Amino acid sequence: MVRETRRERASDESGSDEHLTQAAQLRVVSGEFYPDWEAVYRDNVDRMYRLMYAKVGNRPDAEDLTAEVFLAALRPLRVSASVPEVRAYLLATARTVLAGYWRRTLGREVTTLTDEDVLEAVPAQAETPSPAAGLAAAILEQLPEPYRRILQLRFLDSCSVREAAAALGVSVTYAKVLQHRALRRAAQLLEVKP
Amino acid sequence: MSTRGARRFIADLLAGRRPRPFRAGEADLPELRAAITLRAAQPDGATPRAEFREELHQRLSAALATETDRPSHVAPARPSWLGANTTRRALVARAAGIATVAAAAGAAAEHALTSGKPAPSTAQETLTPNTGTWHTVSTSTELTEGAVQRFDLGTVTGFITRTDGAVAAVSGICTHLGCTLALNASARRLDCPCHTTSFALDGHLLRYQLAVPPRPLPTLQVRETDGVVQVYAPDTAV
Repeated sequence: MVRETRRERASDESGSDEHLTQAAQLRVVSGEFYPDWEAVYRDNVDRMYRLMYAKVGNRPDAEDLTAEVFLAALRPLRVSASVPEVRAYLLATARTVLAGYWRRTLGREVTTLTDEDVLEAVPAQAETPSPAAGLAAAILEQLPEPYRRILQLRFLDSCSVREAAAALGVSVTYAKVLQHRALRRAAQLLEVKP
Repeated sequence: MSTRGARRFIADLLAGRRPRPFRAGEADLPELRAAITLRAAQPDGATPRAEFREELHQRLSAALATETDRPSHVAPARPSWLGANTTRRALVARAAGIATVAAAAGAAAEHALTSGKPAPSTAQETLTPNTGTWHTVSTSTELTEGAVQRFDLGTVTGFITRTDGAVAAVSGICTHLGCTLALNASARRLDCPCHTTSFALDGHLLRYQLAVPPRPLPTLQVRETDGVVQVYAPDTAV
């Protein structure tokens, strides 16, 4: 709901009456409601998990954080609201939960949920490439061949150092060095192009 | 150069383990972010396990069931277009304690839902039972200027204070999930033992660590007659 309102403001700077009318129309268009909390859960659990996985990069934490969001948000959500409102609320909860996770574990916010992270944008089906996959591919593309390959093997293909070294035809020690340098370069790319 | 903690974090990510906590420095962050971004693109982790989905479903079921097993006057799930106020008022009028808490939590959530993000709810309500009587909770001499006293009438529990000569009473139940507030005499505030929430002696929210700010504490009607301090509350619960 928040996002829609913001989008309207950007396109329409006119009087508030007109703004309200548009908001009301939007409400009707997107006026879909969940019948109960189970529907809220079924429709959003995969999306929430994928969102969290993109932010923490590992399954155990992504599962815990997903559970934390639903346990915190579903109780008040018994009062039904429209689908976009429910999602906005889940996302607001997720933002707090993720921030708390980083505070507890590393003391710094490594990743955050921003305005670009919307549940609607997360494909419910795993087969669809996620935004995270797109970003990773874009980074890999810009790296020199050996860097690109070591990161592909280690991070995306889940190879061990030994397997990656064998695939590249280098020693295990060198594969480790290569991985380290490649990751540093990827980090530089990521910093300049958020 | 990445630190030992960061290297271990990345090794854990690659092994599919839960990364171990460490005190990260600012310099660690770019590589950690890159590692997470790359790892997040790994297709195996992209979908939650079916067992996880079911397990969480059961946990939620259990958590929500405990809530609905409470007294029958707990707010029913109600479409937001019916408005928060009718429900809340009806409930406040019907019962004290848990009903007030549940309704207040519901109202706060509804506010959050309709505005799209948590917004503070500041309206303070007065708890007025449909039928009640004046219960003596203290005496005028005991309740000196600046004093704070706890009272428990069975149906309602709260705190009475005297500020600038005037007597006031607030509910002693946290508006978040109903934990009993404790008086922090030195800080002159009411602390919730459950989730680091504190209220001022007049019932206003002082601090909280929740996604949605809890509502202020309801006030109670209080009077001072013939040397005693009385609170208007429902009669003893049967």
